[in-house]
Amino acid sequence: MSIEPDHRLTRRRLLRQGALGSAFLAAGPLLGSAPARAAVARASTAITKGGTLTFARSVAPTQLDPANSIIAGDVYTLDKIFEPLFITSPAGELTPWLAESYTQSSDHLTWTFNLRPGVKFSDGSALDAADVVFSLKREAANVDGPLGFLDSAIKTVKASGSNQVVIKLAEPWAPFLSDISVFANAIIPANFGGRSEKAFFAKPVGTGPFVLDGFTPDSNLTLLPNPHYWQPGKPYVDRVQFNYVADDNQRVLQIQSGAADIIDAVPPANVASLKGVSGVTVELFPAWEVDLLVLNEALPYFADRHVRRAITHAINREALVSATSFGTAKPGGSFFPPSLQYYDPNTPVLSYSLAAAKAELAQSKYPNGFATKLLISGGVEKWSEFAQIIQQSLAPLNIKVTIDSLDHAAFESTFQAYNYDMFIDYAINDISDPDEMASFEVDYKGSGVKSYWSSYNNPAAIALVHEAQKEFDSAKRADLYAQIQAIVSADAPYVPLDYPPYIYATGAKVHGFAVNPGGAYRLENVWLS
Amino acid sequence: MAELTLAGSYTVRRIAAALIVVIGVAAATFLLLHAIPGDPARQVLGLHASAQAIAALRHRWGLDSSLGSQFVRYIGDLVTLKLGDSFVYDLPVTTLIAQRIGETAALVALATVFAVTITLPLAAIAASHRDRVADHAARAVSVVGLGMPSFWLGIVLIEVFALRLRLLPVGGVGSGFLGGLEALLLPSLTAALAIVPLLVRSLRVGMLDVLGADFVAAERASGLGELRVLVWHVARNALIPTLTLLGLNIAFLIGSTVIVENVFALNGLGSLLVSSISSRDFPMVQAITLVLAVSVVAINLATDLAAARLDPRVRLR
Repeated sequence: MSIEPDHRLTRRRLLRQGALGSAFLAAGPLLGSAPARAAVARASTAITKGGTLTFARSVAPTQLDPANSIIAGDVYTLDKIFEPLFITSPAGELTPWLAESYTQSSDHLTWTFNLRPGVKFSDGSALDAADVVFSLKREAANVDGPLGFLDSAIKTVKASGSNQVVIKLAEPWAPFLSDISVFANAIIPANFGGRSEKAFFAKPVGTGPFVLDGFTPDSNLTLLPNPHYWQPGKPYVDRVQFNYVADDNQRVLQIQSGAADIIDAVPPANVASLKGVSGVTVELFPAWEVDLLVLNEALPYFADRHVRRAITHAINREALVSATSFGTAKPGGSFFPPSLQYYDPNTPVLSYSLAAAKAELAQSKYPNGFATKLLISGGVEKWSEFAQIIQQSLAPLNIKVTIDSLDHAAFESTFQAYNYDMFIDYAINDISDPDEMASFEVDYKGSGVKSYWSSYNNPAAIALVHEAQKEFDSAKRADLYAQIQAIVSADAPYVPLDYPPYIYATGAKVHGFAVNPGGAYRLENVWLS
Repeated sequence: MAELTLAGSYTVRRIAAALIVVIGVAAATFLLLHAIPGDPARQVLGLHASAQAIAALRHRWGLDSSLGSQFVRYIGDLVTLKLGDSFVYDLPVTTLIAQRIGETAALVALATVFAVTITLPLAAIAASHRDRVADHAARAVSVVGLGMPSFWLGIVLIEVFALRLRLLPVGGVGSGFLGGLEALLLPSLTAALAIVPLLVRSLRVGMLDVLGADFVAAERASGLGELRVLVWHVARNALIPTLTLLGLNIAFLIGSTVIVENVFALNGLGSLLVSSISSRDFPMVQAITLVLAVSVVAINLATDLAAARLDPRVRLR
């Protein structure tokens, strides 16, 4: 639930798209994980090496320190330079990366990681346990950093020899492997390789497939291959040129004209026409992302469960998606997106029915409706379309909605001050484990933000969230998360509106490009014909 | 001697007025930025940030002191030319501006060249064919730029020259001098076309005034060719009001770079300003606004002073 990776914020966003991001990198064919569909389809010819990959992105890097990063432009740049112990594959699965294997004690408190042999940093020095200890301790101590909370279970990190790292946890913590696979836990050389922190990140050294060549903050950035990369023969391209192109239209023009080989954040409205351009492929990648209509339970009418259920029944999510996403998104059901682990497709959903909506409202304390406000982030077409559809959908219940549109920063500070009636926003999971989303949206106290600012507080659901955090049996965890999804669906603290995908367009010569559900893409597998 | 003093006091008055404008812009930017909602610390730290983390960052940036004391410190820094460090990039704003200002300056300069080279012939044709077809056509053509917003005109030009004819890049910054120039052609033409209509109309009216003057009739009577009269004598006299108008319109041109840079992915000062506003990077927004304000004021001042030099009557106003 951080910020938006790439899509839509854009023009604004110029937006600083907020952040986003996930940590996970997509695993390559090296490890036998599923390569992207596109890669499979196109990889019939032999791989050719060389060439410059020009990638026009809606986001731009501002700095490259993993401990300070949360916006998409930073995250999806530094993850080409630094790597964590585990990554998340395009299929959404945790994959051993700088760690080759691990064991855990029977009480789940001691985890021992065996490092992959032969890994070198881009300056040629060997990766060893001291580097991992330094990096993880640094992030675990980074409690004021954007993702420091993910390491809160860590008690101690110690080297055992040069090739093994032993981590002790304060309590059993099932999401632990997912947590350390986040980009913030990427490995850097111990003591910044003897340099100052500032000097190190100006010319960073990592184990990743690429090294930094040139960089103008908030603008363009160039990467070159890491000559010491541990996957033989990779990366395939000679150079990656990231160009910052904030304007949606300009990115689309760049892929059409061949000026860019890949563009991110293709506007859904352009998908159909781009598919008709010869040599251009549009690819949709499932995301751990759901757009939510959040209802403020601190207000008496939204504290009434019948009102929330009535609103959910009144919104036709199928129609909303078909009217706004041009067939790219899926209508909302559970508050977990379908790509997320332990998503339950059988979650009972309060489906669209005006009759059911009216019946629920009749049972509430507000059978005759009320007037309320809907807060959205302005300048993003999708949110204003959503808002208008919701406004019309609630009119038959005599719920009169006024739409308030603020610029993104103002929008965020307004709902984060709980100063709203309803707001629409996307929620994102940064890691492969669903605990982040469950905690952030359901755990009233643990989230630190009253369940995604909704003030939703159901002790039964919260107890299940806590239980799932300590449950290591995956069948049992699946059952716990299914129960949580069912309870939340029935309580309707927010309406899951839709599940948008990541949309990219690639040119004819691009092969092997894939995006994981956290929004991260690895480029060492990309080659140009 | 008397004339020197007069010219000197005019210059001093104009410079004093310019300084007041710059200080006013700086103060207004500061107050507006702090008045709108939106927390820079939250933008940098993301949605998961704890209240303590946000408070710590706000303290580091001095945002936890009163607005009055922040304002005093800001003005104090400004007087000593300390523009501070960006919240987002943690680098001196001057460094970041230096990386970007060349692109924007080149865009404005080339747009000015386009504006002048398009305006002069159109205005001359219109004035010398007053109320005839050529006059109406010249004015009608120029109005097209006025009616189309820059973002739309830019897209149309890209569609025609870059996508269909493939003569020019669709956007982005070119490499090398020639590549850079090539990449700036469409953006600067887009920016220029927005101000051409005003310039054409103004220069046409100025030329018509001069064409009616006695000395023109005298020159024609003496047998000078029409073209020579028009270019050599009429255009020169009509240039002063046009120069002033051009100076004013460069302000508009600089403002329009925010949009033009976005449409063409130029990543100059304008696009940095937009992203800095979105992230509430106060020092960055204040510094860029200041640079833009100083440029606009300096250009206006320069054109005023140039007009005064070309035409002594101006100083008496």
